[in-house]
Amino acid sequence: MPSTLKIDPHPNRHSLRNAVDYHLEVTLAKSSHNADPEDYHLALALAIREPVIRAMNATEDRVRKSGAKQIHYLSMEFLIGRLLANNLRNLGLYDVCAEVASDMGLNLADVLETECDPALGNGGLGRLAACFLDSLASLSYPGYGYGINYQFGLFRQTFLNGFQREQPDNWAVHGTPWHVERREQSSMIPIYGRVEGDLDADGQYNPHWLDWKTLIGVPADIPVVGYGGRSVNFLRLYTARAPAEFDMAIFNDGDYLRAMEHQVAVETVSKVLYPSDSAEAGRELRFIQEYFFVACAMRDIFRRHAAAGHRIDEFGRYNAIQLNDTHPSLAVVELMRTLVDEHSISWDAAWEITQQTTAYTNHTLLPEALERWSAALFGRVLPRHLEIVYEINRRFLGEVALRHPGDDARLQRMSIVQDHPHKEIRMAHLAIVGSHSVNGVAEMHSELVKSQLVPDFYELWPERFNNKTNGVTPRRWLLNCNHRLADLISETLGEGWIADLAQLGRLEPLAADPAFRAAFRQVKLKNKTDLAKRMRSVAGVTVDPASMFDVQIKRIHEYKRQLLNALHIMHLYCRITEDRYALPAPKTFIFSGKAAPGYALAKLIIKLINNIARVVNADPRVNHSMRVVFYPDYKVSVAEVIVPAADLSEQISTAGYEASGTGNMKLAMNGALTIGTLDGANVEIAREVGADNIYIFGLTAAEVIERRLAGDVARLIYQTNPDVNRVVTRLTDGTFSHDDHGLFAPIARALLEQGDHYMHLSDFADYAQKHEQAARDYCDIERWSARAIMNVARSARFSSDRTIREYATEIWNLRQVV
Amino acid sequence: MLMEDVLEGDCLIVSLNEKRLDAVIAANFREALVARIDQGQRNIVLDMSHVSFMDSSGLGAVVYVLKHIGHDGRLRICGVTPGVMAVLKLTRMDRVLKTFETREAAIAA
Repeated sequence: MPSTLKIDPHPNRHSLRNAVDYHLEVTLAKSSHNADPEDYHLALALAIREPVIRAMNATEDRVRKSGAKQIHYLSMEFLIGRLLANNLRNLGLYDVCAEVASDMGLNLADVLETECDPALGNGGLGRLAACFLDSLASLSYPGYGYGINYQFGLFRQTFLNGFQREQPDNWAVHGTPWHVERREQSSMIPIYGRVEGDLDADGQYNPHWLDWKTLIGVPADIPVVGYGGRSVNFLRLYTARAPAEFDMAIFNDGDYLRAMEHQVAVETVSKVLYPSDSAEAGRELRFIQEYFFVACAMRDIFRRHAAAGHRIDEFGRYNAIQLNDTHPSLAVVELMRTLVDEHSISWDAAWEITQQTTAYTNHTLLPEALERWSAALFGRVLPRHLEIVYEINRRFLGEVALRHPGDDARLQRMSIVQDHPHKEIRMAHLAIVGSHSVNGVAEMHSELVKSQLVPDFYELWPERFNNKTNGVTPRRWLLNCNHRLADLISETLGEGWIADLAQLGRLEPLAADPAFRAAFRQVKLKNKTDLAKRMRSVAGVTVDPASMFDVQIKRIHEYKRQLLNALHIMHLYCRITEDRYALPAPKTFIFSGKAAPGYALAKLIIKLINNIARVVNADPRVNHSMRVVFYPDYKVSVAEVIVPAADLSEQISTAGYEASGTGNMKLAMNGALTIGTLDGANVEIAREVGADNIYIFGLTAAEVIERRLAGDVARLIYQTNPDVNRVVTRLTDGTFSHDDHGLFAPIARALLEQGDHYMHLSDFADYAQKHEQAARDYCDIERWSARAIMNVARSARFSSDRTIREYATEIWNLRQVV
Repeated sequence: MLMEDVLEGDCLIVSLNEKRLDAVIAANFREALVARIDQGQRNIVLDMSHVSFMDSSGLGAVVYVLKHIGHDGRLRICGVTPGVMAVLKLTRMDRVLKTFETREAAIAA
């Protein structure tokens, strides 16, 4: 083994083997006698890390010299997934690494499987941010992510008797080779304190922010390797620390406990990712988290701007800031505070720079998910910022009043500060007022933002509103997760599609080619066989890979309607056991997803699905044609196994609720047909793949609103539709609850006593009918394969490369730096 | 706490020879400066060229001293390091405290 390491900028089989041996022996102090797969993974990652870091430094140099504008993507969540395999693919080193592993008597896939999967996000919003970073780097745009380096990501999900249990996920406990700590670029972040008003030498109001507490934000960079390895950007994540010497001073005074208490309190800020949809305590901590990472990011952006030699009044010319949802909305205020307080820019000039720089992406139409912070909390944590919010609002409402004199109701609706019933700061309004661009994430969603969510703002600034339909990176979601299909496509079309997904369109004619269809089917079957093995090992359920794999993978929520899927499975079970019905084709229903810990009904839906699985899988009248599996602990690496194996993609949210969805895109890109409502990006998927290649059912968003206005229909449907009547009855008759009739009563009540709020019962008949159609269609396997191929061929629109190009040209005014 | 006094004419130059002006020394620092003022020093230059970190306790102490010396006294600061200047700007105290790059400039002002 080598005792020194010679760095090879373009590793080959020999030099890579050398580097792996070096890190195994010298860095990890292991040898082939005592190294386990995790050691090999680490040695391999360290060997790859070196060319990655060099490329990252070279990219930064290139950007600096170019003087190009940069985009800073602020997000509370980055669901990045495992990095080594993706980096190997993007660097074009996967095959050579597989050879090195083989030379060492290892299977690369087994080694890669040991990497932890950082759960630094809840779901779609965080995964979108990660896809965007991949596309920014792959397209050589100077773009950087800013977020929090949570010690504990989203909880690890286990099941106890079918109930969800949440375990802590200390993801980085063994360290990660991808973090590059930048301690020298730490930032001091003040919070709390008070503002003391005074006059400066010119007699102007001069508020002083005094008596604050100090957080230190320590950045660590994760390299983001673009496809082809030309550009490597970074994701900068901040950890909160106490000022170290301060603690040591207390420690030296002998007050060890007090020193530790202070340190623990401070470090709590980056300790835990908050589960979305949860209304639990700790709101103050969440608010501090939001300010902490925004303030760290702003200091870093200002530092880089100054280091590039640009003037402060050129800030908006060289920097763009994208707010991923309202969580980073404080950036508007922090930018104003920095410009006005620290750089003595006039208010008007600072406001122009702020609006020029900032853009906001809305992700939700759910009123309860639009953030509002109590003014009391806001003022306690950030007293100076609250003053600035009030001033922004005063000036903004003055502008509105000029356009609409005497319209007090409009002023109240639009105000950033809500006065009743509690004084609260509306973060979405703050983000809209402070940004030059407001975008939704699918065409339908963007229209609903304008027409339903904030129509007053749209009326005031129609030019500010636009759509940027989400996308997913084809590197992770096809090349890496479905290498069999990727290989088939590359053998057929060449590799150009990886960086230019529009080339997949050339697959369309091949849908008519029996040989290609057979090869495509073979890929799918192998992927399903892999997943079947995993499910046997993880969930203890044996399934037939030849059955139709019907997949619903996403957060558990009433609006996403896993419950509708579950009710339909109960319906099929009843038909088979009571009506002598026979399924046209065997089916495996696969669920995966987590429920927020405080969301009781969502957790009960998980229990229901697990109970259905137990009953169905054990019943010999049914289990030859139908199986149900709940794959635990859903995360990126689980999705990467399920997505390539799916035949049918369940995208069945109540119309008008899902902003876009991105799972729908991943599954279509991998050849699953969608069964879905006209919601979010499903509308665009339907348009792209064509009506023959998708199953659309249910009420439209407009019909949902009409249905609600028409009054409570739940009881009527329950009484008049025998299928609905039967499944709702089965919820409480003990069939799926071991004779515990009360167990699922809350679900029955939610269905029957809340006006069918999420339209489970209203959409049931149409959903069941479309399922019946899909099951029959699946029997014609040649035609099904052709339709699946059409889904892949027509998925180009859903590449995040397309989305990022639109952001870059239409919002950020960014150019590529090659 | 390491402090050093030098008298030049009627100007007392106080050097704080510490890296950090924080909660650990803020109270002593404040009392030491107040004692000098109470002894009759009305013209003080505070040399902070050794201080690279100042927290809100340290800033509070400086503000207290500024108020204590009153309108008829003079407090100037020299040798402000980037870390201290960042805090002064953050809190807008840079618009209240008179800062100078060098000791000589502060004395001459």
